[in-house]
Amino acid sequence: MTLQVTKVVGGYSQIPVLKEVTFDVQDGELVGLIGLNGAGKSTTINHIIGLLTPFKGEIKINGLTLNEDKNGYKKQIAYIPETPILYQELTLKEHLEMTMMAYSLDRDKAWQKANHLLSIFRLDNKLDWFPANFSKGMKQKVMIVCAFITEAPLFIIDEPFLGLDPLAVHDLLNLIDEQKAKGASVLMSTHVLDTAEKYCDRFVLLHDGTVKTEGTLPELRQALPDAGESLDDIYMSMTRADQHE
Amino acid sequence: MNNLYRQRLSSHLKEMFKYLRLVFNDHFVFALLIFIGGLGYAYSNGLKELQPNLWWAKPVIVIVLLLVLQLGRFATLFQDADVVFLLPKEAEVRQYLSGARTYSESLAVVYELFGMFVLLPFIQVTDAMPVFDLALIAVAQLLLKDSLFSLAIARRFKVKSAWLKESVWFKWVVPLIILVASVYGMPMVGTLLALVLAVCLRVADKRYNAVPFDWWQAITLENNRMMGVYRFFNLFTNVPMLKGVAKRRRYLDWLLNIVKITPKNTYLYLYSRGIVRSGEFSGLYSRLTILGMILLYFVRGTWLPVALAALFLYLIGFQLIPFYWQFDDIVFTHLYPVEEKQRVNSFRRLMFSLIGITAILFLVMIFVANQDWMVGLIAFAVELVEVVLMVQYYLPLRLRKKK
Repeated sequence: MTLQVTKVVGGYSQIPVLKEVTFDVQDGELVGLIGLNGAGKSTTINHIIGLLTPFKGEIKINGLTLNEDKNGYKKQIAYIPETPILYQELTLKEHLEMTMMAYSLDRDKAWQKANHLLSIFRLDNKLDWFPANFSKGMKQKVMIVCAFITEAPLFIIDEPFLGLDPLAVHDLLNLIDEQKAKGASVLMSTHVLDTAEKYCDRFVLLHDGTVKTEGTLPELRQALPDAGESLDDIYMSMTRADQHE
Repeated sequence: MNNLYRQRLSSHLKEMFKYLRLVFNDHFVFALLIFIGGLGYAYSNGLKELQPNLWWAKPVIVIVLLLVLQLGRFATLFQDADVVFLLPKEAEVRQYLSGARTYSESLAVVYELFGMFVLLPFIQVTDAMPVFDLALIAVAQLLLKDSLFSLAIARRFKVKSAWLKESVWFKWVVPLIILVASVYGMPMVGTLLALVLAVCLRVADKRYNAVPFDWWQAITLENNRMMGVYRFFNLFTNVPMLKGVAKRRRYLDWLLNIVKITPKNTYLYLYSRGIVRSGEFSGLYSRLTILGMILLYFVRGTWLPVALAALFLYLIGFQLIPFYWQFDDIVFTHLYPVEEKQRVNSFRRLMFSLIGITAILFLVMIFVANQDWMVGLIAFAVELVEVVLMVQYYLPLRLRKKK
């Protein structure tokens, strides 16, 4: 089991945003984290990557908590943020080298991988540029390349599809598939429900800081039999039901 | 519209005072005061060695006056949105501009008179001019500045005449002629010419009322002016409006390549590139280093240069410390599986290299100025102890405290 989130209560200040959130991501699995704006998706992710500390509950990656082994824990995560974050002063090539150094990667092997990824995303002729000046989609691609050269067993991807061109979305999904085949796990938050429906193995539906439902698509259909067939229908009926309460 | 300018001026002045306060709070000002004092001292010493009737005295006076004339720009305080929101008010833009002119010109008068004031001792020593002539030159200078403001207004209208708009003529050539006439024994003629020019341009200026106002041009010019102001303040303190743009500085790559690419150097790699390519800290570092070197060149003695070098080294090291947190708003800095200890060590190495280089440069300067082995040796010992103390003890202490 790669990621195990157990009864996590947490948030930014004293007031908890997350209320006993529990879910897991198995090896080789792509789990979609679905929820409205403000449902607690990003807060959940910030707890997992260690920017926030849970008030209660615990988060384990392959049996390790952050407090037990800081670097061992961090080493297992590759993170792609929602809005690309880049160093103003580093070129694309230097971003990659920075990642290689920070994660103690074998440089030759990592560069092989990087070159492959760069050519997929058509960035291979921009190695000496400052990505901080790129367009949003291209910055996003830089984030993807940096994340995928690490050999992390857990990928945390926050809303990856906005700003990417259709070709890049496709390439990203292929990359995720490749990593899954190697046994890595992926937690992905998104609003693009039809893509999520097609590619995710399981879904965690967050609402108001709690996990509403969790499971594969058939399981969700079973849990909400009147809702409809697609993830979109299920999700809409769930949020509507909530508003009526 | 007149009220609008007044409102903007008061908020503009508030902003400027905010920055001035920051400037006059910093360590840098302390250094600057010493520097200005040193300059004044050097100036007065230099004057003592001059004789009357030097051949280059008059050209220098003319050139300085011409340069001082360029100080003080036209502050319209236009903002980007004005092209949309003030467009219907175009008929009243004149009123607005006259408010702007009053403010800009009164500031400019101060600059011009200050320039004259600084130049006065030099004129007195090299060229025993009658006081009346000096006064005439000052009047000519002020009239020329007035003409430049008329011209600045013309430039902001869609005036067809390229001759009026192309400012080289009126900014440099015409003032040069008038100033030459004034300084070379015909102050009466110079002042008269300046008066004619100022009156003519003011009259011509009145005739542009029918010409459309060039909003884009006016806003661009104002933005450029504000950028200049911010850049000036940025010399002393952080200006959020000037979010520094990273410069590639390829010619320094050899320096960066000294850092070996190994996991241990993750942060050294980042910090070294950050300092070389961002303007903020590298500017601070090089300014203080150069200032210190200039100062050390002028200072003689045994303990004074040593104390000054020590002071400047401390100032530089002290100002560099916040760079440690420079990348903290980038989430990856928190995600990298790198020990905090390695980060601290990286920063110590960076700091050691930077103040080490400064220490060597200071040492060279002290030696050049004093030509004395003993002073050099003392300075070397003091600097060595200081650098080691700062990097080994002071820096880790400060970093721990902040956490």
